[in-house]
Formats: sequence, C-alpha cells, structure tokens
Amino acid sequence: MVLGNYKTAVCARAADADILKCSQDGGVVTELFTYALENGVIDGAIVAGPGDAPFKPEPIVATTKAELLAARGTRYTISPNMSLIKEATRSYGLDKVGIVGTPCQMQALRKAQLYPIGMRKVPDKIALAIGIFCMENFPYQGLEAIVEDHCNTKMESAVKMDIGKGKFTVYTERGAVTQIPLGATHKYEQPGCHVCLDYVANMADVSTGSVGTPDGWSTVFVRTKKGEDVWSKAVAAGYFETKDIASVKPGLDLVTKLATGKIDRNKKTLEERAKMGVGKGLRNPYI
Amino acid sequence: MSKVVEISPTTRHEGHTKLVLKVNDEGIIERGDWLSITPVRGIEKLAVGKTMHQAPKISSRVCGICPVAHTLAGIEAMEGSIGCEIPDDAYLLRIILQCANKLHSIALHNILSLPDMYLPGTDIHINPFSKEEPVRSVALRIQRLREIGQTIGEIAGGEPIHPSNPRIGGMYKNISPRAKSKIYDLAKEGSELARAHMDFMISVFKDWDNRSTASVASSYEVEKNDKFGFHDQGYMAVDPLYASTNLDADPKWFPERWTEVRPWDWYMGQQDITLDDPNYPNKATTPAGAKAWPQMEACTAVPLYDGAPVEVGPRARLAIFRNYDRKGAMGLQIARQMEYPDCLYAMMDAVDALNTSGPVVADEIPQGDGSLGWAANEAPRGTDVHLAKVKDGRVQWYSLLVPTTWNFPTVSRALEGAPWQLAEVIVRAYDPCVSCATHMMVVDEEKKVVAQKLVQ
Repeated sequence: MVLGNYKTAVCARAADADILKCSQDGGVVTELFTYALENGVIDGAIVAGPGDAPFKPEPIVATTKAELLAARGTRYTISPNMSLIKEATRSYGLDKVGIVGTPCQMQALRKAQLYPIGMRKVPDKIALAIGIFCMENFPYQGLEAIVEDHCNTKMESAVKMDIGKGKFTVYTERGAVTQIPLGATHKYEQPGCHVCLDYVANMADVSTGSVGTPDGWSTVFVRTKKGEDVWSKAVAAGYFETKDIASVKPGLDLVTKLATGKIDRNKKTLEERAKMGVGKGLRNPYI
Repeated sequence: MSKVVEISPTTRHEGHTKLVLKVNDEGIIERGDWLSITPVRGIEKLAVGKTMHQAPKISSRVCGICPVAHTLAGIEAMEGSIGCEIPDDAYLLRIILQCANKLHSIALHNILSLPDMYLPGTDIHINPFSKEEPVRSVALRIQRLREIGQTIGEIAGGEPIHPSNPRIGGMYKNISPRAKSKIYDLAKEGSELARAHMDFMISVFKDWDNRSTASVASSYEVEKNDKFGFHDQGYMAVDPLYASTNLDADPKWFPERWTEVRPWDWYMGQQDITLDDPNYPNKATTPAGAKAWPQMEACTAVPLYDGAPVEVGPRARLAIFRNYDRKGAMGLQIARQMEYPDCLYAMMDAVDALNTSGPVVADEIPQGDGSLGWAANEAPRGTDVHLAKVKDGRVQWYSLLVPTTWNFPTVSRALEGAPWQLAEVIVRAYDPCVSCATHMMVVDEEKKVVAQKLVQ
C-alpha cells in the first residue's frame, strides 16, 4: 500500500511540444490542466507560478494556457498553493478549481473538504486535484545554499534543477551542468518533511512524478473516479502519449522501493519524536 | 379598566424580545412596550484598546444577518476618525457588498413575514415551507435570491457572513475580471426574479391591508383597526442606498442631534399581568398573575434624534429620498419590497463601473489623533451608526447605534390602537434584528455615565 489506492498506473508524456520544451519530465501536470481548462473541467488552476526571485515559486490562479506554461517545471522549494484555495472561489470567481500540490498539500485539501471549517462553499468547487511525488522539500534559503554554495551556480543563471539517480543536478543557460550527491543536500531539508508518510500523493485525483519511467516521461497514477474520467478523456483526445508501465524501465518497482524507503525512514523519525519530550508525539495522520 | 398582557417570547425575528401591552376591555393596545431581552454583547467595551483594524471585525460578529453593515459602518467610522479616504474601486466593492447583503436580508425576511399573510383572495395563511403551489415556487425564488446575494457577497467581500475583504483604507483585494462578470450575471438573473417577487409580495401585503380581520399565523381572527401600525414619529435616513460619514462633503447625520435615555426612564414600571390567552400561538402569553418589569428588563438604551424616537429602515429611506407616503405596518413591508430592484440595479451599476485593475487600498493610512469619526450605514433594517475615536491606531472609544435600537421606541408607539393579538405583526414589519440592538451606554443629562455597572 505504499503507493496508495489507484485505478491505473501508466507511463505518459504530453503530446504538446511546447509544454515538453520546458517541463520537468513528461509535462503531465501542465498538459492535464490545459486539457481541463480547454474542456471546461476546471475554470482555473492553482499552480506554482513565477515568484520575485529565480526558482522561488508563488502560487497563482492560472486561467489561461499561457499562465500554465509560465508555471512549468519543478522548483524544489515551497509553494503554498493551498493558501489560494479559498480566494480562488472568492475574488477570482471560480466555480471549478484545479489544484496541484505535494502529498502534504493534497492531505490539507482533502481535510478542508472533509471538515470545511472556514472553507464555506469551497469543498464542492474542487474539480481536479493533481498530486506530485515528493521525497522532501527545501526552504528557499536551503535551495539557495545548495545551488550557490554547493553547486557554485548563481540562482539567476540556473535554468533547470533536477533530482534523480542519487544526484542533485543544476543546468545553466550556458550549458554548464553541475552535479552533487544528494546526500549533501539532506541537511537543508525541512524537518517537517521527515514525518511524512506519503510519497506518491495518495489523496490526489491523479498523481504524477518522474520516478519509474525513462527521462522525459512521467509515471501517472490515476486514483479517483473523477481523475479517471478526466485522464481517459484527455488521453482519448490525444493530449498524451502513453506507454504501458510494465514495459518501461525501471518501472513501478523503483517507485515502490523509494516510497517504502521514505515511509520506513520517516516512521523512524516519528517513533523518535513520540519518545521525545513529554511523550506527546506527533500523531500519525493515517491512524 | 385596562389589563396587562405579556407576549414572551415574540417569534419569527432575530433575537429575543417581549411585548408588554396595556390593553382596554376591547383588547385594543393603550400603551405598548416592546423590549429587547437579549443579553448585552459588550462589543463596545471589547473594542477599547484593540487596533482599529480589529474592532470592526469584532463588531461584525454581533450578528449573522447584517454583519456586512456592521463591518462597513465600523470600518468607515474608524476611517472617519483617522481621516482616511479610500480609492474609488474599493468604494464600489463596498457598495456591491452592501447591496448583496441587503438582497439576502430582504428575501430572508419574506420567509419570516409570510406566515402572517394570506394567499390573496383566500383565508389561507401562507406556509412558506408547504410543497403546494404557488407557495413552493415563491419559496424557491426567495432561496435563489438569497443565494444570489450570498454568492455575490462572497466574491466581493470574501465571505457572505462576516466579510473578510473590507479593511481600514479600502479593501484587501480587488476582484478578477471573471468574478466581475459573474457578479453581473448573477445580479441580472436576480433582477428578473426580484421584479416578479416584489410584485407578488406587494400584492400579498396589500391584500392583508384590505382585510377587515386578521390573525397571527395559526391563531384566531380578530378585527383590525383602520390605522394599523400608524405612528407619528419622524424618519431618519442618510442615504437612499449606502452610507454617510463625517468625511462626506455634505454629511447627512449629526451626532449632536442624538441623545440617549435610560430604559428606566422610558419603559413602564412593574406591572401585574392580568390577561393571558392559551389560544395564542406557541402559548406565548405569560400566565396572568405573574409580573413584568419592562424598565428593569429592557436591554437597550433608547436613542433619540432631536429628542424624539425616529423610525429607520426601508420606509424612512423611501420617505426621505423618494417621497414615499404609505403609513402603517404594511406600508413598511411594501417599502422593503421596493428596495429589491434598487439593490440589484445599484449592484450592476457598481460592477459596471468597477476597474478590476485599480488599487483598492489607500496609499496612506493615518493612525488617528483621537478625534470623533462616525459612519451611518443604511443597513437592511435602517441606519446603523457607528461612532469611534482612534488614536495611534488604537480604538479609544466605540459606540454602536444600530437600526433596531432606533426602532424599539418607535414600534412601541406604533402598537397603540391595534388589537393586542396582532401586535406581533407590527413588530415583524420592522424586521427586528435584536442581538445587535442590545446596547447599554447610559448617560444622564450631563452626559455622565450613570449605569456603568450594567455595561460591564
């Protein structure tokens, strides 16, 4: 169960070359929101748009494809997308809201739907929730230290960052590539990430991430009825190229391995914290 | 020989009140005291020492029916004290919010007053919850109007109840172009519904006025008097729709004309209840033999304007600004329905004029020097006056003179001459909202607080 409940798992990438040009992997989130926007599934989506510093995201409500394109790519730092969930239904006037987020943000979203305290008339307006795989996250200062101090690259000149195969990689616009072992970045992680028991956004309608599929492709878990409906229509409409997940390397085995690794490691942190202080440990949200 | 009857509690309005009525042998009211028995909220004391941003948010919590009026009046009183002008687009958003709240409030009040009314041409009381036509489609229309009001309030104000978007200096956020067109579409839909609904409600109220007998909901029929609910008090209103503050070029309300009287000096002394009626709906009459003590039990001060009670509300607005002249309880009900289209058209005009890219917060927000600011907001039920003194960003003094506080003594006069069994119809015509009307700041002729204990 480390991968959560899902109806189907596929290997996919966007059919749109524009999206793939700057996307992190398969451009699944951008393309699926594009499909949803163009076909009236959502009125707008809360995504991590460009912020006031390089690689510092700021949540925005995207209501056009151009705005979605501006938000392509992963930035390994915090984008509080949930902070806009209420405002999207208020001053933005949306009736069908899409949202992308990390596993913890998906948990917050579902909790807000289940117990809508201070969220009047929000739960029924969530039309599509896309989750992204997440091992851990860095505060912006942490990311700055990794990129500028460890990788010796100015934030401004970085065009892409990537985590994969045990390395943290920074690409610059001049073509220089710097890699450092992922181990060196651990000390910059948010401590809060170490109690998270979800790797693949179990609570999303559709979750996606690079792990398990070749470069330029994404692994996609279709989890809910709503997710399946949107996904199957988008695939049928030709928005995605798909491959059988069993036919690609490294496949779901690697996803399972990493998910198990995260959960086991973080369970240990939880146990440690349960014994810490006055014995009032952090509660496991799944119990 | 007059008798005393007490109806407690009165129903189908917000809050807790009771009626203590002196009636003659024919059951006609000779003197009526309508008083609030809702406990004091103490908002005015809570606000002292808080920041000017916090106080209006606290005061809006006094009630869930017109929190918008309290938020806006509170904020504008603070702005009046510090002398802060807000950008035009913020003003337009506030107007939209105000109208949205008024729309929902009028529609809600329809549900409360309909059970007293009859299907025109019949002797059948209207039960708004009945599944039968035409009542069901009227009820659905009312709910849709409320939904429209609440949704528009949600967009412009952040929340339909206790709005989060208004702030000192304007609004926190402007709305998106998409939200702007959503508001327009909703208002347009509402204007069609409201016109049909207004016609229906006015015909129902006129039908009631033309009857010779009437009853409260399920009670028995009694003869009505000719001048049912008439009074000779003046009207007070500051704007046909929105508000007036001390920053206006031409302010429409004058603090120096306002005085307050203790309930002790206004209401009747201790009375022995000598009349009851087990057939009255909900068995709401207190059994004979008990005692009532209005001057001690009333939880409101009695505000006077130019030394006399005044009527505030829809009819006051229409009478002052549009020469409306229908008197009596039904005159007020009809005036209220006539505000439906005003709300929706004003909303459409405001949203048309709104620039969604314009600034909505003032560039500079002064911190205040302790001078008096006031704002009189035309809430659904009448003029909601907030007065405040702000110094260095903190509230030094805060007072709320809310619509129903003004109406309490006026209604007491309007009761005279009516059969006591129909007293509640008069009370309900004023759409009382009592929780916020509970207000205790009692001063004597020298403006010295004489009942401090009651306040704390």
